[in-house]
Amino acid sequence: MSVFHDEVEIEDFEYDEDAETYYYPCPCGDRFAISKEDLENGEEVATCPSCSLIVRVIYDKEEFMCGEVVPAPPTKHAELIKC
Amino acid sequence: MAGKPEVELLLTWGANSYGQLGLGHKNDVLLPQAVEEFPVSLVSIRSITGGGGHSAVLTDTGELFVCGQNKVGQLGLNHTTDVTHFTFCAALTNRHVVQVACGWDFTVMLTGDGQVLSCGSNSFGQLGLPQKSCAVPQLIEALTEKIVHVAAGLRHALAATEGGQVFQWGTGMASQAKRAFPGKPVSLFLTAEEPCIVTGLENIKVKNVAAGSYHSVSLTDEGVLYVWGSNKHGQLASKEAFVAKPQKIEASVFSGERIDEVWSGWTHVVVQTETTKVFLWGRADYGQLGRSIQEGQVRELLDTFARHSYNIPFSLPCLKGASQIACGSEHNLAVLGSQCYSWGWNEHGMCGDGTETNVHSPKTIGALHSAKPVLIGCGAGHSMMLCRTTSQTLQT
Repeated sequence: MSVFHDEVEIEDFEYDEDAETYYYPCPCGDRFAISKEDLENGEEVATCPSCSLIVRVIYDKEEFMCGEVVPAPPTKHAELIKC
Repeated sequence: MAGKPEVELLLTWGANSYGQLGLGHKNDVLLPQAVEEFPVSLVSIRSITGGGGHSAVLTDTGELFVCGQNKVGQLGLNHTTDVTHFTFCAALTNRHVVQVACGWDFTVMLTGDGQVLSCGSNSFGQLGLPQKSCAVPQLIEALTEKIVHVAAGLRHALAATEGGQVFQWGTGMASQAKRAFPGKPVSLFLTAEEPCIVTGLENIKVKNVAAGSYHSVSLTDEGVLYVWGSNKHGQLASKEAFVAKPQKIEASVFSGERIDEVWSGWTHVVVQTETTKVFLWGRADYGQLGRSIQEGQVRELLDTFARHSYNIPFSLPCLKGASQIACGSEHNLAVLGSQCYSWGWNEHGMCGDGTETNVHSPKTIGALHSAKPVLIGCGAGHSMMLCRTTSQTLQT
């Protein structure tokens, strides 16, 4: 059983476009991370590579599964072309 | 026979993912270790502090030495490579720095003439500057009044003016404020990307500021505390989830005493009163408040009581008389007499007892038994101490 260190809204994460990953400060100094792909798959646990703490990501799963990028504007067509 | 001469040692321990311990490597350290070859005499060190993954040491001549994470230029060294040894911040030559506050990924410097500079990430406007990010400290020109104290949180910063006003910048609290009061306008100082005066503090004179992850604290010259921001963990001693404007914490909470000093972790607050009592409140699940529950007591009952009372400041008798206190994100250090105490989160060894087990009540750091603490400081997950000792090496 895991206890979440915190529950954090997706809008409070910082998005790194190159890594396609959302980041949020971990109290150890490293960052909780969750990839856009994980979010699209309905995953909601962001982990810190340096410690055992985890946070639950609060987000609209429907929105992510549609392939929308938050907080960037919707790019459904562009993404289809890329694939 | 004369005693052995005393020497100064700068000791660091805890999380070290970016070299913030200044030890030349990036491995966590569970027991205090001495920093070798600090660039100047350790006697000149005047204050020690840290941010998310970086550390800052200030000397009595106003020189700043930094190490650790530097991905967005938070060390002010005009590059963005992590540094694992304390390094002189040359960009501040001729600036007599008297106080430094380290945020998550940015740094704020106060000079002797009351000017404020900042460097690092500006993703949330936390630098108070128009630039995107800065690897060299830049003067915050929007602050035109003389500043006497600064503080830095995760994504916001604070400055108290000589006249007792408070300025805040950085949008860290804005999203929480908007969610707490949907559809309602949010105070400018919660959303400003450049210094904005905090309203609601008129007719009082603030002398000190402190910042948590998403909260702000102001201490007046009369020893009264005002708080605003997130109260998710009871850190504002309030019942509301978010406090949108400065709210006074009544002195009755502190046995009617004036507050002399205030410190803040990410989600807990520590104060010391005029009679040197130390009160703590806020998040408690890793032992941050030092309110241990003894085995054998009616544990469940106490747990329930404690869970509902973390927003009530509670005095820890064992910390009365502390001469120094420092807060990390979820851990703390205190100096009492000639001993250094630690308590709270310890997954990275930031409590310095050689383990990774959380410390639920203030405990002396065994390895420092023979060292007399001079100064203490914390980053988010790491600890630092300048001490005097007769032995070059510590007993471990």
